[in-house]
Order: sequence, then structure tokens, then C-alpha cells
Amino acid sequence: MIRKSLFLLPILLIIFLSSCGTKTEHPNRVVIGIPADVNTFNPLFAFSVDEGQVTELLYLSLADFRWNENLGELEAHPMLANSWEWAEDSSSITFYLRDDVMWSDSIPLTTEDVVFSLDVYSDPVVNSRLYGFFEDFYTDEENHIDVKKSFLVKSDYELQINFKPGATPKLIDVVHPVIPKHIFDKYDRKDIETAEANFNPVTNGPFVLKKWDRNQTITLGINENSFLYNPENINELIFKIIPDYKSRLTQLTKGEIDLMELISTEDIEELKNLDKVTLRTIEGREYDYVAWNNIDPNVYKDGGGITPNKLFGKKEVRIALTHAINRKEILEEYLYNYGELAATPISPIFKTYINSDIEQYNYDPEKAREILTKEGWRDTNNNGVIDKNGVEFEFTLNIPGGSPLRTYASAIIKNNLKAVGININVETLEMGSLMDKLYSKSMDAWMAAWYIPIPIELKAFWYSDLQTSPVNFVSYQNKKADKIMDELTKNSTIDKKKKLYFEFQEIIHEDEPMTFMYWTSNIVGINESLRNTGIGPLGAITHCWEWSVKN
Amino acid sequence: MNKEFLKALLKRIISSLITLFLLISFLFVLIRLSPGDPTHKFLSAKFSPELKIKVTADFKLDQPIYEQYINFVANIFKGDLGISYNYRMPVLSVVWQFLSFTLLFASISFVIQIIISFYLSIKSIRKKGNTFDKVVSKLSLIVYATPAFVLGVFLIYLFSVQLNLFPSSGSKSLDFDSFSIAGKIGDYFWHLTLPIITLSSAGIAIFYKYLRDNLEETYQQPFILNLRASGYDEKVILIKHVLPNAIRPLISVAGIELGILLGGALITEIIFGLPGMGRLMMSSIFERDYPLVIGCALTAGLIIIISNFIADLLKMKLDKRMIKGLMN
Repeated sequence: MIRKSLFLLPILLIIFLSSCGTKTEHPNRVVIGIPADVNTFNPLFAFSVDEGQVTELLYLSLADFRWNENLGELEAHPMLANSWEWAEDSSSITFYLRDDVMWSDSIPLTTEDVVFSLDVYSDPVVNSRLYGFFEDFYTDEENHIDVKKSFLVKSDYELQINFKPGATPKLIDVVHPVIPKHIFDKYDRKDIETAEANFNPVTNGPFVLKKWDRNQTITLGINENSFLYNPENINELIFKIIPDYKSRLTQLTKGEIDLMELISTEDIEELKNLDKVTLRTIEGREYDYVAWNNIDPNVYKDGGGITPNKLFGKKEVRIALTHAINRKEILEEYLYNYGELAATPISPIFKTYINSDIEQYNYDPEKAREILTKEGWRDTNNNGVIDKNGVEFEFTLNIPGGSPLRTYASAIIKNNLKAVGININVETLEMGSLMDKLYSKSMDAWMAAWYIPIPIELKAFWYSDLQTSPVNFVSYQNKKADKIMDELTKNSTIDKKKKLYFEFQEIIHEDEPMTFMYWTSNIVGINESLRNTGIGPLGAITHCWEWSVKN
Repeated sequence: MNKEFLKALLKRIISSLITLFLLISFLFVLIRLSPGDPTHKFLSAKFSPELKIKVTADFKLDQPIYEQYINFVANIFKGDLGISYNYRMPVLSVVWQFLSFTLLFASISFVIQIIISFYLSIKSIRKKGNTFDKVVSKLSLIVYATPAFVLGVFLIYLFSVQLNLFPSSGSKSLDFDSFSIAGKIGDYFWHLTLPIITLSSAGIAIFYKYLRDNLEETYQQPFILNLRASGYDEKVILIKHVLPNAIRPLISVAGIELGILLGGALITEIIFGLPGMGRLMMSSIFERDYPLVIGCALTAGLIIIISNFIADLLKMKLDKRMIKGLMN
């Protein structure tokens, strides 16, 4: 009997000891479940989306960008700067800073910090995420901003930024999170990347870093000295790192976390039955595609030569492939219609610029067969696979591992293409291997997704010069499209931009460089007691200092 | 004896260091030849193409592999494993942050595995063939065959979701800092209960099986019969004669198990969101953080060698005839 009791002792001890930790009520605390930890709190090195979201709560910029739902565009609002003024010829911009902004160590924020930040962002020895993006400024041959020529500090709170002649600067390219000069000036520039100050940051935002337990939690406390402080709103934001999706979901249903993103469609029904969780969607930020390499990978590999791909080189064939794939079935059966069919890379969220006259290439295997036959693809040897000039229409479709959606979709695609006489072999690749093959352009076909930037960015994806479009993996080339993209980099009226975007979409639709599958929704589960959560295209937690909790 | 021991010890240390060096050298080459590139993340629609070129040069990845290897070896001898590409911290500092948790977690699990398996196997052998023995033997097979991710998810479902007795993830509560010392200890154990059960179950089953079989074999030896015939008490026979003989093979297994545990328990760490070496190593491989991969492998290798060495010393303590064999 005594021995049996001894076995119960540890259990009783755990229960007793755990009860010694008094549970405190935190009515204005919000806990967000995220799959991975951040690696830095310095906006200079915030390369991932999560790092960007967290650092933007700690470091503010001169202007604040919000999403205008009606126009489908970004809108600039004052933040660290009360106002700004463009020169008539856009050769300079003058910012008038707030005079009540303090760093978390009680030092006032001034124009010196702004100048220092832009200087460091552009410094080649720093390796900041924005390196190479200051082409509108006066820079040296290494793209480092020439501080003397570019900045005119009129006072602690008034700064004029000058741009080089012929530049077409935009506000979004000028305002970036401001870092404290008095902290980072102490470091040699090349040591900023590994500086202790990146992990114990001195910040200017609505939140301050309270505690960071690596791979466990990031605790941000409200900054009561911030001009954004509102005692009615949340006062603590905790990012809880939970790598396993099912564990995150369990904690959301139990109320241990208040928000999680990227909920799988198969879990929606269960969550809908819960009173304390509401579901929201972030739409139009990500689309899936099936890429058809427009060029021959073997020729490209042998010296960078560009010749049309034997199978996918002609736009008519690519259009036939899109007709052959039942995208709607995947959207309905797997995504439960949480998304919409895609026709071009311009997201429907950009309401001003989306060309609604573009018609989808609907699922139509008959039409696909007709086009392929017209293009000379026939089953001449009666083996069930169409061929042309001795080349059989068969290829490998690569998909990334660990993606149930793409595994499901590839099975549908395989069957759909088989129905029109095309034989495919689906191969799953580990992400690192897939990336290698993407950058070397050595695959014929693959399935992946693009998370699109805001505002619209086209050149990196679609420009003909493959050196300046690092992620134009399908090697799409069209001179007319290039011209439009060049025009779009310049400042112009909304009407002109609209015309250019419309034209671009028509060209892309006509060329069908890839099969645009569907825009997938980011399904966000959120505690129903949270108020004023402006979940939208800019993310789930943007402007979260404005959230409040219904008590 | 002492001289012989010291010589053998030195020989063992040198051979262990060579093994470690070969391990990390092999890994150095292997990871660089495998697909993937740590600078891929610097090439995106949001970043300038020049950034990737600069970062590649800064990481010295533009140098031929043999030059990278020479630098790597030179740095190793200076005790410098480099800076982690992702954490932007010295590799040793990153490893230490995760190793401290793993040391605690794995040690608790190891001690529990030993205590429970000893208790069960001794009780089984003393009541050999009865219901307890049969049930535990069958159960140990089932537990051993159950993958950690199945057991972990089941425990979460039962104790966390349905009964709400234990937390489903993390190693401490959000209010941990405000607790008393007793509260902090309790909170830690409260969080680690399910992960420890998950991590320890298979080990308990293995140790139980080994120990029970060894005990049975030892009991069948003629000298036990002799002792019994001489009128020795069963307890004395067990403690003084059977156990020392039976646990010797177990020590080797325990040494390997401890090394594996200290190297990181990946699946348990992921399911329960624990900050251990397993997760660190896996993420460093996925992100192609070369210095960190080497740092993790070196640590895991070192731990396995040390724990095996400790196991050998223990075996030696039990049987001095083993010195030569073990040290060679």
C-alpha cells in the first residue's frame, strides 16, 4: 500500500506545485500562435513576413500605410511625420516630424535618426534587406546613399530629401522603419548584423519588447509613452511559437491563443461550431500556379541560351493546358471555395487595376484537344500519348513536399492531362532542392505559389531580362509587356496606370506563361472577444495596437 | 593499473576526437554538395538581386569548397564555429540556448526510464509467468511499437483537450515570471509531464525488455542455483549477484539512449513546442544554416561519445576485466 502511494506522490506533487503558480487574469492580453520564431527585432534584417510584422510594431516609419478597401490601394497617413510636402517636380520631399516621439530609452527621435536609418539601410557592408533599393537617391557606385547630397536637415524635426535628376520616387520607397542613431552609431557598420541591440531593442513604436524566450514566446508590452497609446486598447501582445499546426489549432479551440493564421479548410467546420472563435479571411495575397517553362532548360543550362521549350514554347499549347485542367474542381473540393480562380498575376484586391473583362480559360478538354491537334500534337503511334515530330508529350511535374493541397491538385492535373493524351510524372521535391532547380531554370514544369507584394510589383516576375527579374522562373519574355512595366515604374496618374495594368493583363492572358490556378484565402481564426481587428490584405496583426477586448 | 588506465583513456579520447573531426568534415562536404542554398532567401521580388551576391560573398560561399574547408578547420582549432546565418549569433551561443533545455528534459526522461523499467522488470521476473508479467511484457511491445507522434497527439487529446489537466505545448506558462520558486518548478513539471511520458515510453519498453531478459538469463546460471542451495536470501541474490550481471549489457544500450536523448528529441519537441536541440538541428538543415548544422552535429556527436564513454566506465567499474576491451 505504501509503495503504491509512493507512485502517486510525483503526480500529486506536480499538481500541488503547479497550483502554486497563481493564475493571473490579463483582460487586455492577446496571444497569437505562430509556427516559427523570429531571428531578429531589427527592421534592417527582417527578411521574413513574420519578422516584418513584429518589427513594424516596434519601429515606426515616417508614414503609415493602410489599405483602402474601396479603391483597392494603399493609402498613406501620418505617423512619425505629421505631414510631408513634395516639390512640384518631385525632385525632393520635405518631412515635418512629430516632436513628441521618444525612443524607449527616453531619448527624443529626430531627423538625425531618419538620415542615419536610410544611410545604414543602403550601406553595402550592412546587408540590410533594402540594400540596392535606393536608386532614386544620390548614391555612390555601390548604391550607398550620398548623405550630403541626398539630405538637408533643416531642424530636429524638418528634413528635406533630394532625389537625383530624372528619378521617379514614390513615398513607399522613401519611408522605412526608423532605427535609433544613438544606439547603432556605436557599432562598426559591419557588426550591426550581429549587434546585441538587435535582440534587446530600443524602439519607437506602440509596443516595446518585454521578453523573448527563444522558440517559446515573444512578449510585447504596450508603450505608454507612445503617441499611439490608448489605455482602452490591448496592453500586451504575446507571440507563442507553436510549430505543430494541430497543436496551434487545439490551443485556439481551448482559448489558449487568440489568433492563428493559415487554417486548413478541412478544420473550418469544427471551428464554425465554436462560439468563442470567429473566422476571417485574407484574400488575394497568394495564388497557386502550374509553371510551364517557356524556354528549353537544357539549352539554357549549356550556356544561358534561350530557345522555346519543346513542349511549352508556344502560347497556344499553354492555353490548351489551362483548358485541360479542372481548376474549379480543386477549388470546390479541396479549398471549399475559400479562394477564386485566377486569370492573371494581378490580384482582385487591386480593385482599380483589375481588368474584369479578362475571361477565364474554362475547363474544356474538348477545346484543349482541338488546340493541341491544330498545333500538330497527335497520337501517331497509338500509345495513348500525343506526339509531334517524334517527341512524346510527357514530362515531370515537380511539386514541393509537405503541401497536401498541391499533392491533391497534382493528382487531378495528372488525370486531366491524361484525358487529353498528355502523360505526366509527379515528383515531390524538398523545398531546398526545388529552389535550386527554380533558380537554375532546370525544370520543365512545377507547381508552387506566389505571395504577392503590395503595391503591385511586376518587373521581378515578368521582365524579359532574366538578370533583372530574379524570380521570372518560367523565363517569360515579351517586349510589349517590358515596355508597360518600364512605364509603370514612373510616376503617373491613376488613369494612366489603370490603362497600363489593363493592357499588361491582356498580354499576360494572351501569352498564358503559366496556368494561373486560384487565389487562395488565408483563413484566420480569431477570438470573438477581440474588437477593431482590421484584418485585411496587409496582414492579420497590422495596426494591432488599435485592438481592444470586449470584457 | 592506473598507468594502464590512463594510457587507455588517452587513447580513447584521441580516437573520439578523430571520430568527431571526421564526422564534421564529412558533414561539411555533404551539406555543401546537397541541394539548397542558404542565400536563396535573399533573392526575392522584395529584395535587390545584388543583395544575394553580397551575402554570398560575406558568407564566403563564393569560394571553392576546399578553401571553405581550410578556413573551417583553421577556425575549429581556434574554437570558433562561426556565426549562424539565421540567428546572427555565434553558433556556440545559439547551441547553448537550446542545449540547456535539452539537458534538463533528456536527463529527467532518462532517469524516469531507468527507474520505471527497473521496477517493472524486477517485479516481472519475481512474479515470472503470472498476469503482471504477461501484461507488462505485452504492453511493452505495444508501447515500443507506438510512434512518438501518435502517443503525443493521443496524450494531448486525452489529457489536454478532453480532461484539461495538462497544457498542450510549451515548457512554461505565460505568467511564469510572476510565480514563486515552488510555482515555477511546479509549472515546469506540469508542462513537461506529457512530453516526458511521450519521450520516455519507448525507452522504458526497451530497457524493460533488455533487463527482464538479462535477469531471466542470469537466474538460470548454475552459480545462482549454488547460492540458493547455500541458503542465501533471495534479496541478497538479486541485489548482489543477479543485478550486477544483468545490467551490464543494459549499460551499453543506456549509453546510446542517453546520447540520442541529449542530441534532441525532434518529434516530441515539435508536437509539444519545446525549445530543444532536435528542433534547432532540423530548422538549421531546412534553412541551410551551414555553421549551425555543423555546430549541432558536433554537439550531438560529442554528447553521444561522452555518454558512451560514461557507460563504458560504469561497465568497467562493475567488471575490471573489461578495461582493455573497452578502451580499445
